[in-house]
Amino acid sequence: MQITVAGNRREVKEGLTVAELIALEKVETPEYVTVSVNDAFVQSGTFAQTVLLDGDTVEFLYFMGGGEKGRRIWLSQMNS
Amino acid sequence: MAEIRIDAAVDITDVVCPVTFVKAKVALEELDDRQILSIRLKDGEPVQNVPRSMKEEGHQVLRLTDNGDGTFTLLVRKAE
Amino acid sequence: MAFTNEQLERYSRHIILSEVGVKGQKKLMNGKVLIIGAGGLGAPCALYLAAAGVGTIGIVDADAVDLSNLQRQVIHTTADIGKAKVLSAKESMEAINPDVTVRAYREFVCAENILDLIADYDFIIDGTDNFPAKFLINDACVLAGKPFSHAGIIRFKGQLMTYVPGQGPCYRCVFGAPPPPEAVPTCKQAGVIGAMGGVIGSLQAMEAVKFLIGKGELLTGFLLTYDALNMEFRKIKLPKNPGCAVCGAHPSISAPVDYEQAGCAWK
Repeated sequence: MQITVAGNRREVKEGLTVAELIALEKVETPEYVTVSVNDAFVQSGTFAQTVLLDGDTVEFLYFMGGGEKGRRIWLSQMNS
Repeated sequence: MAEIRIDAAVDITDVVCPVTFVKAKVALEELDDRQILSIRLKDGEPVQNVPRSMKEEGHQVLRLTDNGDGTFTLLVRKAE
Repeated sequence: MAFTNEQLERYSRHIILSEVGVKGQKKLMNGKVLIIGAGGLGAPCALYLAAAGVGTIGIVDADAVDLSNLQRQVIHTTADIGKAKVLSAKESMEAINPDVTVRAYREFVCAENILDLIADYDFIIDGTDNFPAKFLINDACVLAGKPFSHAGIIRFKGQLMTYVPGQGPCYRCVFGAPPPPEAVPTCKQAGVIGAMGGVIGSLQAMEAVKFLIGKGELLTGFLLTYDALNMEFRKIKLPKNPGCAVCGAHPSISAPVDYEQAGCAWK
């Protein structure tokens, strides 16, 4: 079956789960990725049970830091 | 030529392009729709550019008069 | 408020734009934007907002300028090393545009001060580097009904989204809760290409400008991602999360909370 992953068409096996797709796509920090299928979030903890269907559109949304600290280091607050 | 009632006047001979148009535009924004602004401008670049820019913004250019002293008077009716 | 000839000249390229004009420039001059973090994202954002004539700009950061900042934080100079970032930023912004009032807050945001900090501002820029701060800013803005721009940058990638109350999801809708310390790489460990802050921080400034002048479509309900190596921008639609802990149907968060700091923020 065909699905769209991050904007690219992919040929994948029938019955592929979100968890299997995460492994297949070598997603960085798979425990902390947010997944949406057809414009709905997949609840974290249900990736292994969520089966993808032909024509699904999957997006991976990643945590991204960057910029500047802007917030006190919590432990140094405890120490000071 | 029919008498045109002028609602406000602005002198843009003290500035250079593109501030000429900007100053005229600022004066025009103070007016109500369909009111008439008299603009005193220098020969050369201002005469070439300001009437065209006014038309591009949708305003109506009514008359351009040579004052004979190197300046012109442009009458513009504000767009609705 | 009448423009001086000097102001007409300074803002001429704005006033010529039909979407800005005199009215839009006056809105910018009456606008108040708070930038949290004077770093890779905050630096270009602050410069563009000051140059645009945004009347009041607040900037929050407790750090001092460090040599390692200068590869990307273009608001600070080599001579500023050791100086408070907010003061260095204020000097640069006022040098670009003396019309602008810059308020410098030499502190870090936390649960106790965040609501007071954002209260007086029309739009907030999240230019922070860590997830506890990002969730704190999100929650405070949702609770206080303030629009804000979220952004993150790492390596050759960046992303941003805009939250406006009542329009689309918040940051917590998408990401739930901060990851544990060290679980996700941040730019101190992983590195970041300097111009990435310029691209994404400038896009944040653009969102603030569009919000203030009330023109165009904001990045609400979408995450814009930028992959510099593949030279690819993607605008990913974001669903709203009815179970969101701060903006969902039955929110469990009713006041800003401090999370434990991610370990990699250590110096």
